Amino acid sequence: MLYSPKRTLKRLERPTPDRPDGAWSALGVGEKLSLVAVAVTVLVALVGPALMPYSAIIPSGEQLLPPLSPGHVLGTDVLGMDMATRLVAGMQRSLFAAVVVTLISAAIGTLIGVVAGFKGGWLDSALMRFTDLFLAFPAMIIAMAIAAAIGQSLGSAMVGIIVVWWPLYARLVRGEVRRAAALPHVQAARVAGVGGWKLLWRHVVPAVTPTVVVTASLDIGAVVMTLAALSFIGLGTPAPAPELGRMASDGMKYFLNAWWVAVLPSLAIGLLAFVFNYAGDALRVMLRRTGV
Amino acid sequence: MLVFVAKRLGSLVVVLFFLTLLVFTLGKVADSDPVRTYVGVNASAEAVEAAREELGLDNPIPVQFGSFVAGAVQGDFGISLSSKRPIADELSTRLPATLELAGWALALTVVIGVSLASLYSRPGRFGAFMRFVFFSAASAPSFLIAMLSVLVFYKWLDGALPAAGRSSYGPYEDATGFYVLDGILHGSPTYTWDAIQHLLLPAFAAAVGSGVALARVLADGISSSLGSPWARTARALGEREGTVLRRHALRNASSPALSLLAVQAGFMVSSLVVVEQVFSWNGLGSYLSGAIGVGDFPAIAAVCLILGAVYVILNTLVDVALAAVDPRVRLS
Repeated sequence: MLYSPKRTLKRLERPTPDRPDGAWSALGVGEKLSLVAVAVTVLVALVGPALMPYSAIIPSGEQLLPPLSPGHVLGTDVLGMDMATRLVAGMQRSLFAAVVVTLISAAIGTLIGVVAGFKGGWLDSALMRFTDLFLAFPAMIIAMAIAAAIGQSLGSAMVGIIVVWWPLYARLVRGEVRRAAALPHVQAARVAGVGGWKLLWRHVVPAVTPTVVVTASLDIGAVVMTLAALSFIGLGTPAPAPELGRMASDGMKYFLNAWWVAVLPSLAIGLLAFVFNYAGDALRVMLRRTGV
Repeated sequence: MLVFVAKRLGSLVVVLFFLTLLVFTLGKVADSDPVRTYVGVNASAEAVEAAREELGLDNPIPVQFGSFVAGAVQGDFGISLSSKRPIADELSTRLPATLELAGWALALTVVIGVSLASLYSRPGRFGAFMRFVFFSAASAPSFLIAMLSVLVFYKWLDGALPAAGRSSYGPYEDATGFYVLDGILHGSPTYTWDAIQHLLLPAFAAAVGSGVALARVLADGISSSLGSPWARTARALGEREGTVLRRHALRNASSPALSLLAVQAGFMVSSLVVVEQVFSWNGLGSYLSGAIGVGDFPAIAAVCLILGAVYVILNTLVDVALAAVDPRVRLS
């Protein structure tokens, strides 16, 4: 690239990392857009179902109307239920379930990771053996087996995923806690006589939190897709509950003649996952550039 | 090296044992009553008692677990509650179907991964666009890709590729169950080509997700090695950029890619289960979802155990292979 004084000047004018407005302006256009897209998606999932004119589980028109039909923008399904209403309701369910699964997995994993990393000794090795055992299992298959054993519902699919998801956090947090415990200010606090819970709460936990938050936000997209896959193979709440994976697999019987019944719910899952995956990556870039 | 292999084998046995224990425990706490599923709701008390004995459920639980393990080791997974036939018999034709599909999907994963990675790692070209493609493909559920490919290649292109089943002709007698191989063994190009055509779409749908993940790891490795001193040396010696990429960068990036591929095999199993359903592929996946539909837990447990064992063994093999290639792995 040719030397360009203008470009260099522009770069110098950028806020330095330690300035508080550095994080947002360090982002490119696409990354900013992705964060806005997350906000819009969350808003649609939160208030969308309440704004819809139809019920998500009661037929409201003729059967299998194609998209752009009067009164039904995205058409109707095989029972005559409004697709748009069901999609928005399904997105709400998916998003809510994914956030809950991520939070609970992160909480369990963090607890185990903190205890293992902070206490050390035999407790550490016992907990990490246990964690590694779960990490060695094929996650998806175990989630399927657990969800199938508990019974067909969204809740059992969520339990299945939590059981295979927490070990990732336990490993991560343990490493972070051990790294944090070696930081100068934490060691200084220890030397100054701060011990036990206070040391953990005041000095170690704040050092670990950003990593856990970023990982959790990166995970939401993946959890949405895993839940959808379980629901697709029948491990979710049965119809007529508006569950995107189940809607897609039920719609498959007709999709050569009525593609929208199966393709639209699948697209909705893809959209949710895309928005969160892309924004999660933007968040990671933001943290790396600002060195938080 | 021997010590490393022995340790890896030891932990393989431990993991397999706990996997079996977990699946068995799940069967015991499952909320449906296996005997009722087996004999039906209206069966007499004697029939229930007889079924309990037939299924071995009158034994104490440790004894049941013992016979479960002993059976599983010999490939005997008990009796299906819904069809009342031995599960092993029902799976024997379905296992080759799934393995054949998985093999092709894995091959396509490598093709997709390597070609996307080479495109992506050329600096400047396609950068932002490829990022968008990566994220879209990584976020698309496998059934969406499966459906779209059926719409395009079956519906709009007027049956260019078949959209269901494994073959237009049905299986040979006394065959391996791998249709492409069967076609070759029987010297029938028509049969082989037909089987390949049936494989293309489902294998592609199952491969996209892991292919993209592979591409990301490869691209990361490639772009860091393209900037390294030895890449500069290779360029200074007059090697063309393509040669530097293929001969040096790609090879260096392949070791992390290999371990990722083993992890991806686990994800691929789940997309296979989904994809088999879309393409009416008579494999383990469609058997599993059928068993889920009727609450046949012994059948579910058998499939989970087989797929789980395949995954764990595959991971061990990859670990050993990596250790053989890279001495540093043995010490960590």
